[in-house]
Amino acid sequence: MQRTRRDILLFMGGGAAGAVLTPAPWRLVTDAALWSENWPGVPRPARGEITARYTNCALCPAGCAVRARCVSGQPVSLAGVPSHPLSQGALCAFGLTGHHLPYHPQRLTHGPVEEAAAAVSAAMAKRGPGESVAVLDLRPGRSASWTYRRSMAAVNNGLYLAPPRPLGGAAVDLAKARIVLSLGAALLDGWGTPGNVHAARANFHLIQAEPWQSPTAALADQWLPIRPGSEPALALALANVLNDPKTALSEAAEATGLTDKQIVELAHELVRNGPALVLSADDLPEALALNQALGAWGRTLVARAEAPVPEPWKKAAPERAVASVPDASIRVLFIDESVPGDHIPWSAIERKLVRDNPVVVTFAWSRQGYGRHAQFALPTAVYPELTADIPPAIDSPSAAFRLSASLMAPPAGMVDASAFIAKAAGIDAANALQQRADAIHKSGQGTLFTCADAKSTPLKDVKPADFWKALNEGACWQSGAGDSPAHSVGRAGAPTAFVGPPAFLSSPQQSTAFPLVVAFSGPHAMSLASPLMSKLYQDSDLRLAPNTAALHPDTARAAGIAGDSRALLETPFGRCPIAVVPDSSVPPGMLEVAPGPEVLDICGADTRAKVVAA
Amino acid sequence: MTSNREHQKAASRYGMTIDLDRCTGCGACMVACAVENNVPPAHEGAPARKGVTWIRVFKVDNGEDYPANRSVFVPVLCQQCGEDTPCVHVCPQQAVEVDPATGIVGQMPERCLGCRYCMAACPYHARYFNWWDPQWPAGMEKTLNPNVAPRMRGVVEKCNFCHGRWHAAKERAAAAGKSGIEAGDYVPACVESCPAGAIRFGDLNDSSSQPALAAKDPHSFRLLEKLGTEPKIYYHSQRDWVRQVAAAPKPPSAKESARG
Repeated sequence: MQRTRRDILLFMGGGAAGAVLTPAPWRLVTDAALWSENWPGVPRPARGEITARYTNCALCPAGCAVRARCVSGQPVSLAGVPSHPLSQGALCAFGLTGHHLPYHPQRLTHGPVEEAAAAVSAAMAKRGPGESVAVLDLRPGRSASWTYRRSMAAVNNGLYLAPPRPLGGAAVDLAKARIVLSLGAALLDGWGTPGNVHAARANFHLIQAEPWQSPTAALADQWLPIRPGSEPALALALANVLNDPKTALSEAAEATGLTDKQIVELAHELVRNGPALVLSADDLPEALALNQALGAWGRTLVARAEAPVPEPWKKAAPERAVASVPDASIRVLFIDESVPGDHIPWSAIERKLVRDNPVVVTFAWSRQGYGRHAQFALPTAVYPELTADIPPAIDSPSAAFRLSASLMAPPAGMVDASAFIAKAAGIDAANALQQRADAIHKSGQGTLFTCADAKSTPLKDVKPADFWKALNEGACWQSGAGDSPAHSVGRAGAPTAFVGPPAFLSSPQQSTAFPLVVAFSGPHAMSLASPLMSKLYQDSDLRLAPNTAALHPDTARAAGIAGDSRALLETPFGRCPIAVVPDSSVPPGMLEVAPGPEVLDICGADTRAKVVAA
Repeated sequence: MTSNREHQKAASRYGMTIDLDRCTGCGACMVACAVENNVPPAHEGAPARKGVTWIRVFKVDNGEDYPANRSVFVPVLCQQCGEDTPCVHVCPQQAVEVDPATGIVGQMPERCLGCRYCMAACPYHARYFNWWDPQWPAGMEKTLNPNVAPRMRGVVEKCNFCHGRWHAAKERAAAAGKSGIEAGDYVPACVESCPAGAIRFGDLNDSSSQPALAAKDPHSFRLLEKLGTEPKIYYHSQRDWVRQVAAAPKPPSAKESARG
């Protein structure tokens, strides 16, 4: 048979048509991705100039130093700064993902700013006798906090409110401790500055007295599994043993589940292997009394030093606790939650407000905070957009000043809380950060650590303009050993005296009505963290998912809850729905709860709860 | 494909040592890994444990009842098997290869057809399948690492010791006129991020590196060592029960818990 050109063309055409029906061409198309790396539906990372910038993390009081890798100015990853004197190169999981917060699905992007300002002016003008204007500052010690205090000093009947400072405002010198008794404090899981804690860890013996095996308990040198809620009893018993070796311990032994002998031996161990330090989860007065008995004050506990402030700032309103304010007396309340801080249950705040139309303005970056209860929720910049200073951490015995310097511009329409409040009070608070920096520079004390070159320079050798520039590039000022900072909080050598019996003895009714002791499963609310934190609760069991509680299967059965199910968490402050998971590693009588907005609304420190089937 | 015998003679044989007595289970390694390698957050509505996590920290206990119960956190990532690497053998697409220069077991999503044979073959369950196209909340894609391409739905992925960082270190070394990467110039994200310093990284061919020293430590062990796959991740613990659990033929009986 003779082949014509037509046959060849037909064969080629048929072959081409047939090939379309085979996987080969489609595979080639897919393989083209090998060079293009571009698939529909998959985002392409932006390219650009890569630079390193430095700042300090504002997500908790530790304020760890951060090196940000930026692509065309946009931070794409964060890491610690090795050799940093305070944070020692460490960064926690929350800090590592801080650059995602501006894109959080719960981000508050707009708010009624003008309406809030008008409502505040009107409410301040029509205040009745005894009615006050107050600022609740969840992260005291910042320069913004001084602005609030100055503002409230300028207002008639102005109050500056803050959560109680841990350890009565003292600072911990972990490097000097040789034995640490932790009464449920999450020492290795978010307490203080992680890098500093891990650096000091090799030098002290850690005894963790806690009902459940928390991550800290799992890594402690000794874990004392005590009964839920008996931490105050143990601290009190130890203090009593130290003050009077013949003291009766049967009641404390009954409460804690330890023997008399164990308590006595523990007390002797703390004295024998000192300098000792006692920390507690809920800042128990009993722990302060025990620290006093152990002679910790002036050794492992010192007055917390703060960086100098300009002289005119010192005419400021004093810091007060929310509990000290008369009920139904606050007409206008500002709440600054632009940076995460301590939490006070909303019910404790609400009762301080006047009954008829109080004005509550919150400054927040997320929709999940107190803004849910306030008339006005105003949006603020969030780390790493904002520029703010970070007060010294609890484990920083020296004064320090560092800025969480902005790494990216905030979106339009964000409100500066301190400027808003200062304007309402009629004071000038512009350039407060720079004024504070000038005051520090004027003192001539301490050293400046710069991140880019990891160098410490005596402050007296740094020019004022260079100091300000360095601070905006993540540098850290730290007072020296012999320096005397202009301001300090806490009272070394004069601890808060122990008054009254431990909470578990003083409220038997509460113990019966709410039999479960609440322990938070982590220091942060997962719902207010980067979406990537789902790796820790959805793709592993390191943390509990938001609004979830774990309890012993026997406790769950007693409450009529079977397996995984929905339930109601009830505390003296209210109730909220939660998911319940049984977990036999949680001891009976205890409830491990993931902190979340709804849970925090009804759980304060030392809270008891019950769980009922939904 | 390079044979395992050959890559043992390679210039570098990267490995890791994880000190379980230091790991606090904080999860910094997991999120740092996800940030570095453009691993997306858990997909909305996805069931638990179906997301991609190149390194996963497990909480393992001694099987005793409270209060005798003791637990340890064990980060598990691709063990970078150095001998008879199971995933390499089963892949029909040659999408898994051992890099002869580093000993790193690499996964090429462009070649992967999603058969998941490698997942079935991996004795460490350290491979993850993309059930969904990766998605980030609006705007968050701006924070993606430009050195790592996000993977599409339908392919398997796993830890590659942050291979993008290895390339970057190699480029820096070349630019500086060095013949190779110096110790410390190349560190995976999980190592860099661990606040407790529990994870150390280095070249097993360098006898002074942390993993090489750990390999000789009597308190070190490797997971499923009896399989003979010569994993390059060494775990370390002074606690006897931890090593005993690791060597046990079966894990302790699971207690009643819906969390794990």
